[in-house]
Amino acid sequence: MLNILLKKLIQTSSGRTRFVMAIIGLSVALLLILSAVQIQVNYDDLLHSKTNQDSIANFLVLNKILNNKTYGTATFKEEDLSKLKQQHFVDDIGILTASRFKASVQSNSDRFPFYTDISFESVPAAFIDVNSKDWKWKEGDDFIPMIAPNMFLDIYNFQFSLSQNLPQLTQDIVKMIVFKVNINTDKGPVSFSGRIVGFSDRISSLLVPQEFNDWANKNFSNTQNAKPSRVVIRTKDPGNPALVQYLKDNGLTTDADKTRFSKYRQIVNAVVNVSWITGAVMLLFALLVFTLFIQLTIASCKEEIRLLITLGASPKQLQRFLMKQFFPSNIIIISISLISITALQFEVHQLLQEQNIFISEFTSYYTFATALLILFVLWFVNYTTIRKYIVLQDN
Amino acid sequence: MQIELKQIVPIPLKDKFAKRNSDLWDQSVLFQHGEWVKIKAPSGTGKTTFIHTLYKLRHDYSGQVYYDDQEIKNITGDVLAQIRQQKISIVFQDLRLFPNLTARENIELKRVLQVPLYETSMIDEMAEKLGVTSILNQRAGLCSYGEQQRLAIIRSLIQPFDWLLLDEPFSHLDQENISKAAALIAEECRKRNAGFILTDLDEDEHFNYTKKLLL
Repeated sequence: MLNILLKKLIQTSSGRTRFVMAIIGLSVALLLILSAVQIQVNYDDLLHSKTNQDSIANFLVLNKILNNKTYGTATFKEEDLSKLKQQHFVDDIGILTASRFKASVQSNSDRFPFYTDISFESVPAAFIDVNSKDWKWKEGDDFIPMIAPNMFLDIYNFQFSLSQNLPQLTQDIVKMIVFKVNINTDKGPVSFSGRIVGFSDRISSLLVPQEFNDWANKNFSNTQNAKPSRVVIRTKDPGNPALVQYLKDNGLTTDADKTRFSKYRQIVNAVVNVSWITGAVMLLFALLVFTLFIQLTIASCKEEIRLLITLGASPKQLQRFLMKQFFPSNIIIISISLISITALQFEVHQLLQEQNIFISEFTSYYTFATALLILFVLWFVNYTTIRKYIVLQDN
Repeated sequence: MQIELKQIVPIPLKDKFAKRNSDLWDQSVLFQHGEWVKIKAPSGTGKTTFIHTLYKLRHDYSGQVYYDDQEIKNITGDVLAQIRQQKISIVFQDLRLFPNLTARENIELKRVLQVPLYETSMIDEMAEKLGVTSILNQRAGLCSYGEQQRLAIIRSLIQPFDWLLLDEPFSHLDQENISKAAALIAEECRKRNAGFILTDLDEDEHFNYTKKLLL
């Protein structure tokens, strides 16, 4: 009853436009700030979570840029490698060893004849993204497991087979084909049997076990200890701008696609920052307008409030009443903002899922925590403003 | 609760009052719990100033006013509100109703400001006694001064109190209405074993005063 009467006396309708402005400003500010937090969390999620450990992106094959200046010297020296190893964004480094002997593969079957000259590369096992029990070789073994780039199969299936009127091959079929591997040596060809045991997106060359490559290079090559021309690095964050800068400064190059995150990240950072700053400034203004609105309401009911106090209404009663008038709108705004962000997050989650990018379908704790913090700030501002202006009337 | 005055003199009226003999200004006076006090005060002697000083609406005086042992200058905020809700009620000379609330709402507001002493039906009962039932749902601002005066009296009686301050409470009432109002005030004070301090211009026999003073 008291509240109904107080509501009649203390009309909050004066300055309704200001109130609506304050509400809108506050809503936009909250949306911006909460989205900034959520975007940041999502982005961190994308960069660091396990589900998004992009096997392609976290391993970069580097080589020196080959142009007229570097012609013939596009290899890594000892100091190049140690310098690269020291960089904070490099977790591990592996040298890609190229085969230095002539080799060819040919079909064992007449029904599906093929022959091609070929070269191999090998890389320490830690850098390989294919799990196969066949991936091993020791001296004396006749069977050489190989890992082919997915790209090779794609080229075959979608270009070569069509032009030559050959059947298309699935990964499983290819893995079943055993072929002959010939190595040309001074004493004549040495034959092995070979089979593709897996396909990789990580390194775009035909890989053989390091042991085999080392052995073959030692036994069949004319040039010893050639300097490596390609290395593979493992990095947590291929989008790290520092990495991109390092590559640029040292005349190195990699699959540009893999460092594309660098640009994205700068954009995301910029968006998050702009969102933050705009949100913060808007929040500040919205708070100011809100404070002014409270001030105005109290000022416009100055006489009534003064008489209420004269008649025995306690400042606490009036403060409680005024808080009830102003604060719930804040709670509603925050709730609506949170619901919007949650809905948006769910939508974005669905949308990105189709592209195999996984972000949480739920709003993060940080966003909720931020909302709570802002709610507290709003409560504090409401409370102190009301208190201050009620006390001013009470004298 | 008792009210004690110690040499109070309103600062703006200091020179004016220095020349007069007053039972109250610049005197030590004790109002015991339950006393019915009449203060006769010709125009311009500071009736309203006096009542406002007792009710702690004015601070521009020298001397001290005590509610029991507490100097009222030290009573503020929620404590003062508590006293106004439970211990001291008032009928202002200028009535001070909320013009935009109805007569009933004005009284109801005072009833529910604290834990209510009376049920709502008491408003109707009192209004009946003072002949203002018909205007209870009218906006107070539209009521005549006499009606407003009776409403202000009802408002002051709807709450608990030890002391009732009445500042020329019958100024706009005819004899018949004065008798009714005085009877209601006396009845309510007796119920609470409460005292009152009434100021008026002239002598009167509306109550069995226990103390009569000249301002």
